Parts: sequence; structure tokens; C-alpha cells
Amino acid sequence: MALPPQINSVKMPDAAVAEATRPRKASRFNLPFLVVVALLVGYGLLVVWSAVANDPDYRFSRQLSGAAVGAVCMLLLWQVDYRRLGDLWVVFLVVNVALILSPHIPGLGTDAGMGAMSWIKVGIQVQPGEFAKVTVVLLAASLVARYGGQLDQAREYLKVLGVLLIPFLCIMTQPDLGTGLVYLFISAMALIMGGARPKFLLVTLVVGILAIVAVFLVDEFVFKYEKSPGVYEYKLLKNYQRNRLLVFLNPDSDVTSEGWNLKQAQIAIGSGGLFGKGLLNATQSTHGFLPEAPTDFIFCVLAEELGFFGVAALLALYVSLILICFRIASSSNDLFGMLIVMCIVGMWLFQILENIGMTCGLMPITGIPLPFVSYGSSFMVVNFMMLGLIGSVWSHNNASGKKGGYATPH
Amino acid sequence: MVAAILAALGAAVAVIVIVAVVFAVRSRTSTPYAGQKKEVRQLDTVGVGSQFAGKPRGGASSDVRVSSDHAPAKKPSEGLKGRFTAVGVFSAAVFGTLAAKLWSMQILSSSMYAAEAQENLYTTVSTPAPRGFICDADGRALVKNRLSLTVLADPDAADDRDVVQRLSAVLGVPANVVRARMKDATGGAQSQRVVASDVRQRDVAFIAEHADAFPGITVDAKRTVRDYPYGALASHVLGYVGSVSAEQLENVAEGSSLESGDDVGQSGIEYRYDRLLAGDHGQRRVIVDAQGNVVDVVSETQAAQGSDVYLTIKGPVQYAVDRALAALVAPKDGTIGTGKGVAAAAVVMDVRDGSIVAMGSYPTYDPSSFVGSVPDDIWELYRTEEAHTPLLNRATDGLYAAASTFKAFSGLAALKHGFADTKRTWDCTGSWDGFDTGAPQKCWLHSGHGVLDFREGIVNSCDVVFYEIAKDFFFAGESQGGSLADTALQDAIMRYRFGEPTGIDLPSESAGRVPTPAWKAEAFRNRPADAKWQGGDLTNLVIGQGDVLVTPLQMAVAYGGIATGRIMRPHLLKEVRNETGDVVLQFEPEVVAEPDVDPAHLAIVRDALHGVVQDSGTLSPLFSVNGIDAAGKTGTAEHADDSGDDAWFACYAPYDDPKYVVVCVVEHGGGGSAVAAPLAAEIMAATMADDAGTGDGVMGRIAGSTGKQVEKLDTAAASGRTD
Repeated sequence: MALPPQINSVKMPDAAVAEATRPRKASRFNLPFLVVVALLVGYGLLVVWSAVANDPDYRFSRQLSGAAVGAVCMLLLWQVDYRRLGDLWVVFLVVNVALILSPHIPGLGTDAGMGAMSWIKVGIQVQPGEFAKVTVVLLAASLVARYGGQLDQAREYLKVLGVLLIPFLCIMTQPDLGTGLVYLFISAMALIMGGARPKFLLVTLVVGILAIVAVFLVDEFVFKYEKSPGVYEYKLLKNYQRNRLLVFLNPDSDVTSEGWNLKQAQIAIGSGGLFGKGLLNATQSTHGFLPEAPTDFIFCVLAEELGFFGVAALLALYVSLILICFRIASSSNDLFGMLIVMCIVGMWLFQILENIGMTCGLMPITGIPLPFVSYGSSFMVVNFMMLGLIGSVWSHNNASGKKGGYATPH
Repeated sequence: MVAAILAALGAAVAVIVIVAVVFAVRSRTSTPYAGQKKEVRQLDTVGVGSQFAGKPRGGASSDVRVSSDHAPAKKPSEGLKGRFTAVGVFSAAVFGTLAAKLWSMQILSSSMYAAEAQENLYTTVSTPAPRGFICDADGRALVKNRLSLTVLADPDAADDRDVVQRLSAVLGVPANVVRARMKDATGGAQSQRVVASDVRQRDVAFIAEHADAFPGITVDAKRTVRDYPYGALASHVLGYVGSVSAEQLENVAEGSSLESGDDVGQSGIEYRYDRLLAGDHGQRRVIVDAQGNVVDVVSETQAAQGSDVYLTIKGPVQYAVDRALAALVAPKDGTIGTGKGVAAAAVVMDVRDGSIVAMGSYPTYDPSSFVGSVPDDIWELYRTEEAHTPLLNRATDGLYAAASTFKAFSGLAALKHGFADTKRTWDCTGSWDGFDTGAPQKCWLHSGHGVLDFREGIVNSCDVVFYEIAKDFFFAGESQGGSLADTALQDAIMRYRFGEPTGIDLPSESAGRVPTPAWKAEAFRNRPADAKWQGGDLTNLVIGQGDVLVTPLQMAVAYGGIATGRIMRPHLLKEVRNETGDVVLQFEPEVVAEPDVDPAHLAIVRDALHGVVQDSGTLSPLFSVNGIDAAGKTGTAEHADDSGDDAWFACYAPYDDPKYVVVCVVEHGGGGSAVAAPLAAEIMAATMADDAGTGDGVMGRIAGSTGKQVEKLDTAAASGRTD
């Protein structure tokens, strides 16, 4: 590769050298990154404020405090040298399992009236499954980074795959398929970016699809039973899960309220038009047609109130954030750092795709929040922690400050 | 839709291409940029990295535990460029697809979704319109409206067991009934359901005071229900209203705004003129939320009350009729059997224009029982045979053998065909066997009338005279080798429109029957031995017995035809007035037919009918006491099962200048002159008094049938013909 220029550069230090070796104080913070994040969080808070303004079930102050706590977490993590975490995958695994299974502890867990045992009560209600996303990212990145980008032995690949499936299996005991899928997507991103052989990845994908089909078939032919005359129940998949998929495949079938929800979500988005109806003027959500408006369907509120312009602005902010993350990842000097960033990118990508996709009928309905926008302080804090990790990767690779990896001799 | 999909696809492709180009350009331009950076970084790396002597990256595969401390010579991203590109393309696809889909929804199909959002948001709620009043000819309201307190429940209130139990206790309605009414979604899934209407003031006050114990329950004090100031007065004419049925909703006439939950006429005038009586719904355009709660009212138009219908009925006469019928049949405590017969009907018609002045039928029903909802026991009582079907309007739907009242018409037939004239005489021995069957038919006067002419035959109602006439008709028929049609007698009788509906403006009316050979062949087709038309059929027909069936209304119209020479279409509607009291519709009298009858023959029969009243020591005083000069005819219809005769009396007055015809029938009441004639005379007196303006004008409440009756009716005492 480009070896000769290295020699040249040694001999001919120029302005670039001076620039690169100049001590930088401000560069501990990546300015474009912070600007995009600030815009995104501000935008999200604005939409949440509009969505919960007339809804006594939600409190905007809770979301604000989530953002504040998150910002503190981000700054703390920014300072931590992520490289110290590189060998701790066993710790991450243990913490992970403990977090995800904590709602099962009697007296601690609660379903918050939502069906799944996803919450714990420690003074305030938190969703440990959300916080586990951080440890899943670290687990996947540290585990895969050990192979130095060449995960090409089937035995090793299966080992890694097995460990990465543990968080998914744990979360399915709640059950929370949406969060489980996020874990899977994070893991998949780690495997892809960690250099697993394409053949392995392909086989895994095919096996995964076959497994889903198998679950449906086994459910249909083995576990189907008549709960009451004419009403059939399945053991592996809950009826509402089946319904969501069926509604997705055939939106007009309207087997349950799922079809109605989807229809109302689409009406909300479509009726927004180019410029929207204005903040606080979303008729679909304020009059209760839109279910779960401030949480899973917050995108509909945004689309209805701010129209296609507001939507495009949000997408542009997401694209900017992800592009910046790409740059941070590609400029990382070690695999672990790169994988952390890419896993987080993968998580956001999937959540954006699934959340917006489900509201406009491109994806089946699953309860996955929209990053930085959906109401929910747990996920807000988690997103900030992710930002902190990315900041850590950036500052310990790019910044030429004291903690810079290259400036400090070991 | 297809265009939108194509546009979305196009947009998606475009976005992907753009993103791909951006990436391509970016990767190209970033190479020299990165290279420049690398130059600088390499400076450090070369200097520092040499100290650490990091292993070449190629050999890393053998050592899987590459510590991150061992800073590689190159950035890991360089070996994974392809994967970065793959993830980049994936991201571009994600955002491209989402943007394209959102573009298609928010820009291309926006108007469709906006319309659906509007549809979600705005709902048009109808407010029921009060029905018009029904008044008598002089403007006395026979049917009015009154405010009714209605308890309404939100659709989901039925899920609250406590609320259901409390409502049940307060309203005195069983809990399961309360719940069923709450779940009744016929008014629309999001509309409030009527739990109880016409609720007592104190119950409503209780609910209002304890509003927090009745979530989702509201009281509507604006609804109106029908009010009947005179109870069951003329109930068969007026009819009753009830909630519109699903079937009626499906067959809504054009231009009418019938909606679920509306009250519509179910019988009588209420049904016949429902379109006029029903008002126009008020419309409220409201904003509702997903739970159906009204958030805001956008616009409102007031409901318009229906038009008022004025009838030809005269209240005081109707009251006299209803009161007289009740007094005759059930004088004691409303118990059937304590008077004469088990049921009765009367019709008073103005012979000049066919206006029905009064029409009564007993037993009767109270239409206010149908306000709100009719209790099951009342509904059963009003329908069952045992209670003598109070809902049946016997004046239009009661079918009776015409008996001797028919002799006026068979007499006219005989005069027409020359089988009777003023000169011919007949000898009545009390028994007649003109067909030599060996089973003689009897005259009602078993001792015989002796020798009579035609007038005396009608005045004395001698059956033998008419047996002879029937015999003449029989042998003059074609089938017997004669020159007349076999149905010559029937044809002559049917000039007075027997056997067909009169065309009165009521929803239901029976046609009756004048038997003919063809009818008999059809009716007895399964018993060919009995299907043959015989002389006996004609001798029965001629005296209105056997298979003859007529309604009191038909009889009234026919006697009006004798009185005036014209058959009028009977009608109840006088005029229709709108809200401001202007007459918008007026009924025009309609002559149905002028029977082709020789005036001389008509004069003979009129004189004979005059004689029936004037020459009789019992009938004459009934009318003369009120100074009425009436002509009429009695009738006593025998039942084959000997269950007691039906008493008839048909009359018109004044004889010289006929104005009114009164027809009465008393089921199983006994003899016509003994039972029906006094009733008819009383009604005629009331009619003439009202006509002359000398009536008392008194109107009062009429009670509906109680269903009470004497266990075993002593009908034997009432049997035995007396006319």
C-alpha cells in the first residue's frame, strides 16, 4: 500500500504535520457530533412535549429529567477509556443476564400493566431490558474484537454466536420480542463488522428464517389448542404476535384492533401532508384515535404535526448522526472501538427502520421506541450512554489530548 | 393508488442511487483526504509503533487473542472496507425506503388520508324530531307529544357491574335487561344507548345527585314521546308508534330520513301518514374523540317537528262510540262477558263525502302502552285470541257474515232481474224446501209470516221470500239452462263493492268475500264432493249467511251507496297542516262508483229500509226519541257452531236527506234489533247532535282492554234470531 509517502512525510513535515501535532484542547469534543446530537435531542423533546401536552398519563418533566440524567451519563462515559473494557466480556455477559432477568425477581418486577414483565421498580420504574442494550453492545463488541477481524473458523463462530444468543433468550422470558430483535441486530452488526466469513453469516440468516418458519409450523400443528369453542390459542407465539404479522401481510384483514391501530397510524402520517397541522394540532392523537401516541407511535405525531418537512428533517438528522458515527468508526484505531460504534449504529438503524416502518406499514407492529424521540426515560438515558461510548471511542482515537492513544507513550 | 406505488418505487430508486453516488464520491474524495491524514499519523505510528513491534496483521489469525493494547499498524476499518460499504448501502436503503414511503403517504396520498382523518374527527349526530300531532276534525289533539326523561348509557357502561346493579335498583328494571339495553348497538356503535325512557322525576333526581356512582350514565330531558290525552280513544284509527325495526330501516322510502332509534308509526294513521307526521332530524356536526365523546359542536340545525294531521274523526262522536261499545260489551269493571257479546265494532261515515266520523272497535288497546317499550304481558294480552285480539281493528279487519243486512242488496238484485217487484207476493210458512232436498230451510220466524209482498219481506226480514228469489236466480243460471250468468246475483250485489277493499286510508283492510261457483271450486278443490255450486249456496248467500264475509266498513260504504246512490271512498284524513298551521294537503272526496241501479228500484228498497225502522214497535222509538228519521236494516248472523249470533244494525239518517250512515256489529251479541239497533241508535243520536251542534261535546279517557272476562260465556241465552 502507500508506503513510500510515509517516508516522504517523515522527511517533509508540512502544514498537515503541524496541524496534527498541534495540542488541541477543544478537540476533546467532536463538534459536528455534538451539534447533531443536540439538534436531535431538542427536536425529540419538542415532539414529546407536543404529544404529551394534553395527556395527563404522561409527564414531560420525566422525559426532561431522563435527558438530563442521560447527558450526565454521556459525559461520564466520554471520559472513560473504552479500551479498558475490552477484556471484560464475561462481566458484560453476567451483568446482561442479571439485568434482563431482574424483572423476574419477586417484589421487584412489574409488568406496568403492559403484559410483559419488562419493568422493575426501584423508587422509579425502569426497564432493565433497555439498559441491557448497552451491555449487549459491549458484550458483542468485546467478544468479536478478540478475533481481530478474522472470525473464520466455524467452531469459534458458533461459540460467539452461542454467547450472543444468550441475551436474546433471556429477554424472551419476559417476553419482549421487540427488544430481543434489537439485541439480535446488534449482535449481527458485530459479526458482520467483526469480519465473520460471509458464508457463516449467510448460513446463519437462512437458519434464522427457517427457525421462524419452524416456530409457526410447530405452533400450528403441535401446540394449537382450542381455548374455548372457535377460539384457538398457540403456545409458542402469542395470538397478538400472530395477528401483528397477519395484519402486516394483509393490512385490510383487520383481525383485531391491530389493523385499526395501523390504519389510524397511517391516517395520522398521511394527513400531515407537506407542512403538517402544526404543533399541538394533531387530531389523531389528541382525540385518542392513535394508540400509544407518545411512546411507540410518536413518529405519527411528528408526521401529523410537522408534515413531510418535519419528517425529512428528522431523517436528515438521523442520517447525519449515522454518517458521523461511520467516520468515527472507520477512524478508530482498534477493532473494539470500531465495533462499539458500529453496533450502536446498527441498533439505531434497526430501531429507526422498525419504528417508522411499522407506523407506515412497511414493518410488522412491534413495540420498539424511536431513538431520541419516543417518550420513555430509560431509553433516553440508554441513548445518551451510547453517545458517551461513541464519544469515548472518538476522543481516545482522534483527539490529541492527554488521553489520546498515540500521544501517550506506554 | 398504482400511481402512488410507482412514485414511491421511483423515489426509492432515486434516493438509493443518490445515496450510492454520494457514497462513491465520498469514498473517492476521502481517499486522498485519509491518505493525507495517514501521512501524518503514520509519522507517529512509525516512530512509536516500532518500539512495540506489533505483529504484521497477516499473521494475526494464528493468534486469536490480539490484545487491543497492541495497536495495529493499520486501522481495522481498512481491512473491512467492503463491510462498511455494505452497511452504508443498507443504511441508505433504510432511509431511502422510509423517505420514499413517507413521500408517497404525505405528498401523493395526503388528501385521501386527510379525508379519513376528517371522517374520524367529525361525526354528524341526528337529534330526533318530534312527530306531528294528530287532531280531530275540529282541531282537538287526539295524539300529542310530551317530554320524556330518558336515561342514556355510554357504550362501555355495560362493563361496569356496579353501575348496572345500581341502575337496576333505581329504575326497577332487572339487571340483565339493563345490561342488554346497554349492549344494544342498533343505534350505532358509538351512540348512547337508551336504558329507560319515561323515567320518573325522582329516579332521575337520584341519578343526578349521585352522578359519581353512575359513570357513563346521562339523562336526556329533551326527548319527546307520544301522549294520548284520551287514552284508548280511537286507538285503532290512530295506531301506535314504536322504535323503527331493522326491516323498516332497510326499506326506507326515498326522501325520508329514517334512522335507527327513531319512533315510527306501526299501525293506523301513525303508520299510514308516517312521512307527514315524522319531522326532519336535527343535525349536529360534532368533533368526537376515539371514545365517541363529543369534544366540540361545529354546527347545529334544529330538528323540525312533523306536520299535524287532521282527521275527519269527530272527537265527541268517537268518544260516544268508544264509550258505548265498552259499555255494551264490558260494562262491569271492563270485564268481557258482563254485557252483550265479546267484541263489537262501529263505523260512522258521512255519506256525502265518505268522511269517517267515528270508528270504534272493542276490545281496544291503549297506545300509550307502546311508549318506550311495551311490556311483554301487555303485548301478549293485546295479541291473543283469548283476549279477543284488542289490536284488531274490527271495523276494517273484522270479517262477519252480513246476515239480513245483505237483503237490501240481494233485494236490489232481484228487482234488477225481475224476480221481485212491488206486485209479487210470497207465502211464508216458516219452513221452505224449494229444492226438494228433504231438509227444509227455516225462516227465522218458525211460525211463518204468511203472505208478504217485497216491502214486507224486507221489513219483516222474511227469509222465505229471499229463498224463493235465490231459487229463481239459481234456475235462471246458465248451468241450469237459464239465460242469466250463474253469478248474476253476486254481480248485482257486488255493484256495492263487497268482496273488495274500500280503499280507506289505513294500512290494513280486509276484502271480505262474496262466494261464487269459481270461488267454491277453488276453496274446496281438495274435497271435490263439496266443491259443486248448489242451490243452497245461493239461498245462504241471498240472506248474507254461509260463506259471505263483510267488514263493518264495507257495510257502511254500501249503505251509504243506497242512501245517496254513490259509493264514496271512505277516508280519515281531512287535511295536513305544517308547523305554522297552514294547510298543505287536503283530502278531496272521491266517488269510487255510481252503481248502475234503476232509481225506481232504489226508491223501493229505501222505502223498505225506512219501513224496517218506522214500522217496528221496538226500533222506531230508538230513533224517534231523538227526532231522527232513520232507515236501516237489522241482521243476525248465525254461527254454524252455535257459539252465539253476531248482531248487526246498519242505518242512515236523515231518511230524506241522508248525512250519516252508522253500522254496528256485536260479536256473539245476539239479535240485531235487540242488541245492535239500540247501539246504532245511540251512536246515530250522538252523531246527529254533534252535526247540529247540540251535542254535549264531552270527551274523556277510554281505557284499554284489561284482558278480564267472564270465565264461561253464556252465549246460549243470546242465541235465537229475533229479526
